[in-house]
Amino acid sequence: MSGFIWGALPYIAFTVLIVGTLYRYSTNTRTWTTKSSQFLAKGSLKIAGPMFHLGLAMAFGGHVIGILIPKFLTDGAGIDEHLYHIIALAGGIPAGILFFVGFFLLMQRRFGNPRMKVNTSTMDGWLYLILFLTIATGCMATALNATGILGDFNYRETISPWFRSLLMFQPDISLMENVPLIFKCHLLCAMTLITIFPFTRLVHCLSFPFEFFFRNNIIYRRK
Amino acid sequence: MNIKAQVAMVMNLDKCIGCHTCSITCKNVWTNREGAEYMYFNNVETKPGIGYPKNWEDQEKWKGGWQVNGGELSLRTGSKLERILKLFYHPQQPELLDYYEPWTYDYETLINSTRKNHQPVARPRSLITQKRMNIKWGPNWDDDLAGGESARQDVNLKKIAEDITLEFQDIFMKYLPRNCNHCLNPACVAACPSGAIYKRDEDGVVLVSQDACRGWRHCIPACPYKKVYYNWKTNKAEKCTFCYPRLENGLPTVCTDTCVGRIRYLGIILYDADAVLSTAKTTDEKNIYPTLLDVIKDPTSPEVQAAARQAGISEAVIKAAEISPVYKIIKRWQLALPLHPEYRTLPMVWYIPPLSPIMKVQEDKVYLPNSETMRIPLAYLAELFSAGDTKVIARTLQRLLDMRSVMRQKEINAAPPKNLEFEVGEYEKMYRLLGIAKYADRIKLPAGLQGKTHEQLRELQGSAGYACPGGFC
Repeated sequence: MSGFIWGALPYIAFTVLIVGTLYRYSTNTRTWTTKSSQFLAKGSLKIAGPMFHLGLAMAFGGHVIGILIPKFLTDGAGIDEHLYHIIALAGGIPAGILFFVGFFLLMQRRFGNPRMKVNTSTMDGWLYLILFLTIATGCMATALNATGILGDFNYRETISPWFRSLLMFQPDISLMENVPLIFKCHLLCAMTLITIFPFTRLVHCLSFPFEFFFRNNIIYRRK
Repeated sequence: MNIKAQVAMVMNLDKCIGCHTCSITCKNVWTNREGAEYMYFNNVETKPGIGYPKNWEDQEKWKGGWQVNGGELSLRTGSKLERILKLFYHPQQPELLDYYEPWTYDYETLINSTRKNHQPVARPRSLITQKRMNIKWGPNWDDDLAGGESARQDVNLKKIAEDITLEFQDIFMKYLPRNCNHCLNPACVAACPSGAIYKRDEDGVVLVSQDACRGWRHCIPACPYKKVYYNWKTNKAEKCTFCYPRLENGLPTVCTDTCVGRIRYLGIILYDADAVLSTAKTTDEKNIYPTLLDVIKDPTSPEVQAAARQAGISEAVIKAAEISPVYKIIKRWQLALPLHPEYRTLPMVWYIPPLSPIMKVQEDKVYLPNSETMRIPLAYLAELFSAGDTKVIARTLQRLLDMRSVMRQKEINAAPPKNLEFEVGEYEKMYRLLGIAKYADRIKLPAGLQGKTHEQLRELQGSAGYACPGGFC
């Protein structure tokens, strides 16, 4: 069972992510939008929207650093475990607070304002549930780990190499054996999120308008 | 010279009776859908008034249109970096209540009501929340000045130095029908982060690609006329299409077709696309209008025609440009003016400013007043149509007055008035086009803008779509 969860499920999730995204983009771009609700409720978005997205960007960046940069590289750079920990928490705690408070304010706005109902689909409801669980387990895991309740567990020696082994297509399931339950829950939530990603409003993050910086002001187009 | 063709519109405000037929027919064709109920691609406003959405002309608030800073043209809404930050929250995006909350009525209660002492009432219900609501504002709430409360909020009035009190004896009003201006330098196109809005090369119609739009909603505040709308159902931007499926078949837009006052003129103009940017950059706001006239080229000039052919413009379009009624009104007689040229988008819907009733103090002395002594202050019209230059308005109105004098003198067999700008015959042509022109004279559109030859269309005739599976031919 754990072989399936840590050896196969990640591949299933990422396959659905890639194939699903490509499928939706090529067959159903008309539904591909930010699904912005600012038009329906402007005031309550002012703080919450940017706060949530900033927290999300910081948290995502932290995950990329924590997972993709191997420990021997930071060790080589003279950053010992203690210093790394301080740096990670210095970025991670504000990120977590922004992310979580932003999410809370957005949910309050979404389910507190009757007008927002027309902007909230059933799929959105599931998405917010899974997103909440992912953020909550993530914050909790970090808090428990930082306070030492989980003992001398180090994700950079277990989860990170496991994830990198997935990228090499040689999954090392044994690395996940002694990972605390809260981290496992966080990973399961994240995999669910990745799986449903192509079918939710989250796809708008792939449309971040980079090309906008390089194009002409006025576009003429022939039929 | 880089000649492009543009379908342009002229509205003769002298003849607009404010009946809203254009708005209603447009709505029935384009925006009677869920998510679009609140949209009016075409609406008619009473001026002075705050309009739709509320105070759309207040660019201090909305930051719409372009500005010139140190000779460089930039969107008022900010640099590209600032705009990227506005993806997450756009401080200048109008919200639902800046337009109005769309509603319907509980008509069912009129039929299903049990026997009561009082008549059953159909109460209003929000089309967004489906809940009962109190109607506080609507798309045309300040029609006919509506008591004058919102009229006094008009930013154009605030800009005029002279004190306009709107007291009963000197009150004035006029109608202003508005649809998308299909600008030569559209701010919405420039603001779109996804590059989803474009100007069609063939006819200058500005469209939003519903497949490419990602709902970043930057076009909405960027358009100074607030003529791009956010569909809350599809979460994409929508705007007036100039009824392009009709244009492509040589038919006018629905608003033009159904206008009962026959105030709308539609035709082709040829313009120099290379001169657009420098015109939009014109330092002095008051020079934008005369410079814009220079961008529009004489369609009968062989040089212009040669450049048009080189640019791949079809003979039918060049022919239509030659007989274009809008060219005559805009350029030859210079009777029509762009709405708020100071926004620098170079709009292609033009307005003939309205004459207005003669003031009581003048009534006994003259048959026609001169342009300065009419009820609508020149300064007010100048705020709307000439970036504050009253000379342009006075000159334009004087031409309309001269035309009336010429025709009256003719009617009573008297000598034509003196000090005329044009030949008498020219005024008669002007009178024919403005006063009595029939449908076919007001609307000169080339059929076949869609690029299909007569033979190709004939092949499709009667095939009921089967000749073209999926429509991909």
